[in-house]
Amino acid sequence: MAVDSYMTLSQLQGRIREVLCQGFAAPLWITAEIGELKVNARSGHCYLQLVEKGGRNGVPQAQAQAVIWASQYGMLASYFRGATGEELAVGMKVLFRASVSYHELYGLSLRIVDIDPLYTLGDLARQRQQTIAQLREDGVFDLNRELGIPQVPQRIAVISSPQAAGYQDFMNELGASPYRFDAVLFDAVMQGHGAEASIIGALEAVADRMEEFDAVVMIRGGGSQSDLSFLNSYLLSFHVAQFPLPVIAGLGHDKDQSVVDMVAALSLKTPTAVAAFLADRVAGFDARLEELGGEIRRCVRRTLDGEEKEVQLYGTLLRERVSGAGLRMEWRLRSLSEGLAAGARRALLARGGRLDALRVRLEESAGRAVAGGEARLLQAQRLTEAADPRKILARGFAIVRTGGRPLTDAARTAAGEELDITLYKGKITAKVTDHEKE
Amino acid sequence: MTYAEAMTEIEAILAKMNEADPDIDALAGQVRRAGELIRFCRERLRKAEQEVAEALGEETADK
Repeated sequence: MAVDSYMTLSQLQGRIREVLCQGFAAPLWITAEIGELKVNARSGHCYLQLVEKGGRNGVPQAQAQAVIWASQYGMLASYFRGATGEELAVGMKVLFRASVSYHELYGLSLRIVDIDPLYTLGDLARQRQQTIAQLREDGVFDLNRELGIPQVPQRIAVISSPQAAGYQDFMNELGASPYRFDAVLFDAVMQGHGAEASIIGALEAVADRMEEFDAVVMIRGGGSQSDLSFLNSYLLSFHVAQFPLPVIAGLGHDKDQSVVDMVAALSLKTPTAVAAFLADRVAGFDARLEELGGEIRRCVRRTLDGEEKEVQLYGTLLRERVSGAGLRMEWRLRSLSEGLAAGARRALLARGGRLDALRVRLEESAGRAVAGGEARLLQAQRLTEAADPRKILARGFAIVRTGGRPLTDAARTAAGEELDITLYKGKITAKVTDHEKE
Repeated sequence: MTYAEAMTEIEAILAKMNEADPDIDALAGQVRRAGELIRFCRERLRKAEQEVAEALGEETADK
């Protein structure tokens, strides 16, 4: 069967375009998320892929091409940046005014003619608040700050882009300090799409060598305020919050604090400020050492002075005591010796008196004894003399012996017996002639 | 030894010295130990001249 009624593709597309143009005569306000964004460097036109997420299996519910012509892009972009502090970027939810256009060759496209930055701002704030709430719920929000900053942050892992001016500023500032720092760079993309994954990768690389570092410094140069929405992302904030080393942020943005800034152990404005902080921190430790040294010196001096004073005091006391004791001792000795001398004298005197008396008595008794003795001797002499036989013989007595033995009994003699008679002078022999017995 | 350990020990020594009745006999030893610790920390804190010289040497060797 022959078909005699048909249209060309361009005719069809033309019909579609006509219908669409009639149906969408005026621009409409639409919300969508930016899925892709490219600015043609030559033409200056901005091409976007808009999506509405929430489909099954990660497939968007809807998507469409959009364009901001160069003539409007410059104005809209700066207006948006001025209001939000953000560049239009992938992942951002935007409310825009667009007209529906249809091109026979390129199909459906939305021509964006206006943007309401407040919507994005609100959405970013909401996202930020959600991230914060989720981090708190996970119990990790305060973890990195609770680590505190080490007293001597000397071994530094630097997460930055090596080309960034901020990195050079940081290294120059550290190099200018008199202190030694060991800084190791962990290369990462610090802006735009991909920054989140890149920084998380760098953090993981640092974590593998965490024993080698005291702290992590996360820095990016100032320059253009390109897409920094990753600083509010849940995943990156989660990694920073529970990183085992303290993270010091110097992200060079002048907006409200990002969530990464909030969970980091310390957040400073610029890389230079971070380097200055590190140098100050170490200088503070150095000063504390100096202070302790001085305190120890003072303490030693005080102790020694005290000790010396004590020694002096004891010395004085000792001298006083010794001299006092000496004086007392001397006085006592003197009085003792004086007393002793007097006592001795008294004793001697007393004893002397007794001796004298004794002597007298002795002399007296001796005298008496002698006298008595003499008398007794005289008497004894007289008695002895009286007993002397010669004295008796001289008075006329005679000793009669017979047979050599003295004769005391007349009865023991016989007549005619011879007797020897001793007289005072001479001996005679006689014969018994007669007895007269008693 | 870490800075924190060194600092803790120095502070402990100082506390001991500050006691009402310090042990004079132990004082000399304590002062010596504290001096060692302080010197140890400060040497590690500062850029060692030797290291600077080495770094410069390496640089010239590279060129």
